Amino acid sequence: MATAQAPSAAETSAADAPRAGIGPYKLGAIRLRRNKVALAFGALFVVIVVLCLLAPVYAKQVAHTTPNENHVTDQIRVGGKLRDVVSPEGVPIGPTWHGRFLLGADQNGRDVAVRLLYGGRNSLEIGLIATLITVVFATIIGTVAGYFRGGADAVLSRGLDLIWAYPAVLLGIALGTSLALGGINLGLFKLQGNSLMVPAVIIGVVYIPYMAKPMRGQVLTLREKEFIDAARVQGFGPLHIMRSEILPNLASTILVFVPLILANAILLEAGLSYLGAGVQPPNPSWGTMISDGIRLIPSGIHLTFVPGIMLVLCVLGINVFGDGARDALDPRAKVRLEH
Amino acid sequence: MRKSSRATGLLAAVCVLLLALVVSACGGSSNDSKSSSSSGGGSSASGTGKEGGTITALLGTAPDYLDPHEGYTTQSAETTWIVYTPLLTYRHEEGQPGGELIPGLAQALPDISSNGNTYTLTLRKNLKYSNGKPVKASDFAYSVQRMLKLNWGGKSFVTSYVKGATAFDQGKAKSISGIKTDDASGKITITLEKPYGAFANVLAFPALALVPSGTPMKNLSNDPPPGVGPYMITDVTPNRGWTLKKNPSFAGLKIPDIPTGHLDQINAKVISNTQSEAQQVLNNQADVFDPGDTIPPSLLPQINSTAKDRFAKQTIPSTFYMFLNVTKPPFNNALARQAVNVGVDRRAFQRLASGFLLPECYFLPQGITGHPTGDCAYGTKDGAADLAKAKQLLQKSGQAGAKVTVWGQQREPRKEYVDYYTSQLNKIGFKATEKIIADETYFPTIGNAKTDPQTGFADWIQDFPNPSDFYLLLNASAIQPTNNQNFSKVRDPHIQQELKTLDATPASKLDSVADRWQALDEYVGKKAYVFVYGSEQVPQFFSNKLDFESAVFHPTYFNDWSTLQLK
Repeated sequence: MATAQAPSAAETSAADAPRAGIGPYKLGAIRLRRNKVALAFGALFVVIVVLCLLAPVYAKQVAHTTPNENHVTDQIRVGGKLRDVVSPEGVPIGPTWHGRFLLGADQNGRDVAVRLLYGGRNSLEIGLIATLITVVFATIIGTVAGYFRGGADAVLSRGLDLIWAYPAVLLGIALGTSLALGGINLGLFKLQGNSLMVPAVIIGVVYIPYMAKPMRGQVLTLREKEFIDAARVQGFGPLHIMRSEILPNLASTILVFVPLILANAILLEAGLSYLGAGVQPPNPSWGTMISDGIRLIPSGIHLTFVPGIMLVLCVLGINVFGDGARDALDPRAKVRLEH
Repeated sequence: MRKSSRATGLLAAVCVLLLALVVSACGGSSNDSKSSSSSGGGSSASGTGKEGGTITALLGTAPDYLDPHEGYTTQSAETTWIVYTPLLTYRHEEGQPGGELIPGLAQALPDISSNGNTYTLTLRKNLKYSNGKPVKASDFAYSVQRMLKLNWGGKSFVTSYVKGATAFDQGKAKSISGIKTDDASGKITITLEKPYGAFANVLAFPALALVPSGTPMKNLSNDPPPGVGPYMITDVTPNRGWTLKKNPSFAGLKIPDIPTGHLDQINAKVISNTQSEAQQVLNNQADVFDPGDTIPPSLLPQINSTAKDRFAKQTIPSTFYMFLNVTKPPFNNALARQAVNVGVDRRAFQRLASGFLLPECYFLPQGITGHPTGDCAYGTKDGAADLAKAKQLLQKSGQAGAKVTVWGQQREPRKEYVDYYTSQLNKIGFKATEKIIADETYFPTIGNAKTDPQTGFADWIQDFPNPSDFYLLLNASAIQPTNNQNFSKVRDPHIQQELKTLDATPASKLDSVADRWQALDEYVGKKAYVFVYGSEQVPQFFSNKLDFESAVFHPTYFNDWSTLQLK
């Protein structure tokens, strides 16, 4: 996606010109501040995050329900008339534009607005945890493989190839479906099947090769630089060199990857949840909400439309802001995830 | 005198006419008019429509097999029961009368020995297959052997009871020692290892229908073998469709109570898109909607307003329930089970099923001998849940706050049932969470002793109209380490004692033990071993070309295609 309002040549040359006392991150921030579109979409994402964080307040104070509470046989007063939350034919009430059932109900008589906000919390939580897992492991694996080369590189790279060879969505479905039943039990590390951490771990693992491979490539280049040789000559060990010399040079790449991984993790979570392999019912997520609403599209389009719009806005916000951040931090980088 | 008598007659005729108008007006006001009449006494197979013609019947799911000795799904049986008439069959009527066994190719219902172990039947004279070949008694023995060789899904009904069937099935014998036939007299004698009252129902499965001896012992779904029935299968295109043509020789056999068919040809077509399926029938581009499919809720209002004279919800003998594992907390406590029965609203399930569920609270459903008609033991069928009482019962049980895992399937609306049930358990005072797993693995998983689930979704749709078929699910002998079907793990001496007698009662004498079945079902209701919430309803939906009133909706085989006729 091209960023609008490209700075003029004069502005660019002025901004890019080395200035005494300005570090690369400050320079990036100055560049980013000029990209109004990226900032606007970043703000949109922040608004969504804040709204989702306020879900418990909205549920308790405004909607007077919880995300999983069913109201199948309840009635509410709308415009002075008593109406079924779910009709005897199974059609849920549409948006009331009041505190209760603001955006209508789903087939189980649950408040769509409440589930939308809680679903957003879950999607974002999974996205952030998955991103953290990917970034940490991809950085470690990429750095170790690239720095040591030889046997370590061969083993780690083949491991990454193994995951990469399997389509991300299919791998996610396979892991999600099998782990939803028994959870994860690795001795000290245990997760229940219906825990939000299960899809987060799956997505985090699935995306490791997509980030680790470019990181490894960058480390292979870095390790041949003079400043690394200088560090070796000074007698620093590999761990020290990786931590003090290589990692700081990878930081801008990592920062560029974060929004990309986050947006893709949220999308993959929605896809897996839609297919029943992500967030487990009755917990809401935007993906499960779209899946639940499919059956009622002709009579209750809001059930799929509202979570779909939220998903689009959220991912768009992250992606456009991420593009802006990439342009600001490393204008020459061509980082993107390929599936 | 004469004049006065004529006037009285005229007055009586006017009264009858008025009464008929009132009755028809009352009946016409309900969408479920056909359904309510079905439970009342059934309809006649003979209509007032035309003879002959061709129609198109749509099916959302292809039958598993069109070979009678392999087919086990409703879509398969809908076709095979009018192509392959077994020794015994069911009356072609709606509601409970449709569950009555009648002689098919046998001259009469079986003679059963005093110990209940020997069934003797005699073939009707001069029977012929659709290819003209005469029917012999030995074809029955051959057909049962073929069914076992082809591994029919319900073969355990035979291997568990017929002497020598297991040995044949395992390849240890060349024939089934418990089946003796005599072609000259047409006599067939079947010896059981132990009495099984519902065995006459087993004989009515299309899978035990006769095909000519020598029919290859392989799946012939693409070119089904000849049978004895009002129709014959032709032109099979796998997974796409097939054609049923009228069997020209069947009417000449003059088998009583089995319709000879009105239509010349029925084109069955498989269509996977339910929306399109319903739309085609609504627009009269096709004629029969598959009752195994769900009408999209979005089309229901239109169907109810523009096609209500050709649409009905039909209740099928089935029990939808949540099992409550009585061997572990919290449901080993009777009060906790009662709290569930009181605190969950059965009407909610009806809404979640888009109206296609009849709220019920007893284990034996409507249409099955012994179904109790009184009030529910706990809670109501069509009233609101009593949450206050449920909470009180749970407090009293000492199980408040107990952790419960509710198991369910992904399929709609079963996942929605479990969502609601879990939400309601939490309102009562349990700490409930859900575990939803893939449809294919659900029953093997919950039926595995290692899983030992506390509660979850379960259902049973009759194999045949006999209460024994349902009570298999509460029989202690059904508790197995794998493939367990008694999910509540009920081991009740009273139930076992009663089943000993009731299960051995021949199907033809079910009425004589109806009171005992009812008492047993009421006992189960009082024990709250399960939480029953309803019986499934399915759509009967035709194009306006067909005579809807004369069509029979059979409780076991759904749309009876042999009774369909054009207006």
